[in-house]
Amino acid sequence: MAMRQDASTGQLVDDGRAAPKTGGQLVDGKPVMHLKIYSPFRVYFDETAFSISAENATGPFDILPRHHKFLSLLNPCELRVVSPSGEKRIRISGGLMHVQSDKVKVFLDV
Amino acid sequence: MRRAQDIAAEEKSMRTILTLTGAFEGLSSMRIAQIKNQVLESRDFFADLWQMYSQLRVDQLFNYGREKEQKVINKDLFIGITAEGGFSGDIDQRLIDLMLKGYDPAKQDIIIIGHHGAVQLSQRGVAFIKYFRLPTVDKNINVTPLVQHIQEYKTTSVFYQSYTSLMVQDIKKVDLHSAVQAAGTLVNEGDDIITEINYIFEPSSYAVIAHLERIMLQISLSQMILESKLAQHASRYRAMSSAQQLALDTSSGLRLEYNRVRRAVGDQRLKEVTGGMKVVRSHQL
Repeated sequence: MAMRQDASTGQLVDDGRAAPKTGGQLVDGKPVMHLKIYSPFRVYFDETAFSISAENATGPFDILPRHHKFLSLLNPCELRVVSPSGEKRIRISGGLMHVQSDKVKVFLDV
Repeated sequence: MRRAQDIAAEEKSMRTILTLTGAFEGLSSMRIAQIKNQVLESRDFFADLWQMYSQLRVDQLFNYGREKEQKVINKDLFIGITAEGGFSGDIDQRLIDLMLKGYDPAKQDIIIIGHHGAVQLSQRGVAFIKYFRLPTVDKNINVTPLVQHIQEYKTTSVFYQSYTSLMVQDIKKVDLHSAVQAAGTLVNEGDDIITEINYIFEPSSYAVIAHLERIMLQISLSQMILESKLAQHASRYRAMSSAQQLALDTSSGLRLEYNRVRRAVGDQRLKEVTGGMKVVRSHQL
């Protein structure tokens, strides 16, 4: 059930509608995940994506939706993001990737 | 009695001080707004990073991001963050006073950030092992050289200036280990705990955790430096406001004195003229 905030009391109440699914979403029939790539003072990407490719100490790798929970240091490389709006490449000097239930966060400049 | 033109000259110099303090006050106010803006801009990023760190179950293992076999100096490291220049009121002096209260050269080493603090230590004959300039930038402050020193020591205490409000600034001493550890234990309810059982770590859990510890140290230090800069600008603003008020009061006092002296000179001349006239009249009669 979805919750909404009551304007008079400010409390969360059940609005009787089905809650939107946060995982397993499809776009063009393909599963997507939410991806955010950012540094302290700039957001490079904050949308749904089909995949992200990067490189760590063990080599190049891809992250797709429904990936296992994952925490990795990133090597200097070019991130390749495939999203419904197209492909995007971002060159990075290193970072940290955190994958957690169809949510991927890439922290840069750390 | 002072001469009117001397008083006028002094009042003019007081007006110059008034203009200068006004300019410094304006600059400080602008820098406070800029730094606050930086803090707001990066807030989400750092909050997410702290959140992730807090989910890691590493509190008991905190090791300042050192390598496994790294040897440490069996001393405490004191880091003092002070202003680069003067005009900051007494805030740096208070910080140095607090730092030297429990200082014992056999047990502690000092690293000082900011030229003003280095001068204050030298004046008191206290030696420090390293001096760093206070970073001029507010974004992406490079604290890596500082972290390297921290990792060489058993424990580290940071003395910094904290910003409460425009009129209130405080001096704080924090144990870096406790500060990072405390922030790392603030897990929100419902958050996943990150362990080796439910997560894949690459290249290894130890490498990721050591890297995260270094990052968290860097972030903590950067935030302390930024907060110190904010407090220094606020203290400068306060000092300049007081100086401006004092200059304004002095200027008003001088203006009054100037008018009084001019009137007294006028009265004296009038007295001389009337006295002269009386003498002339008495001779005519």
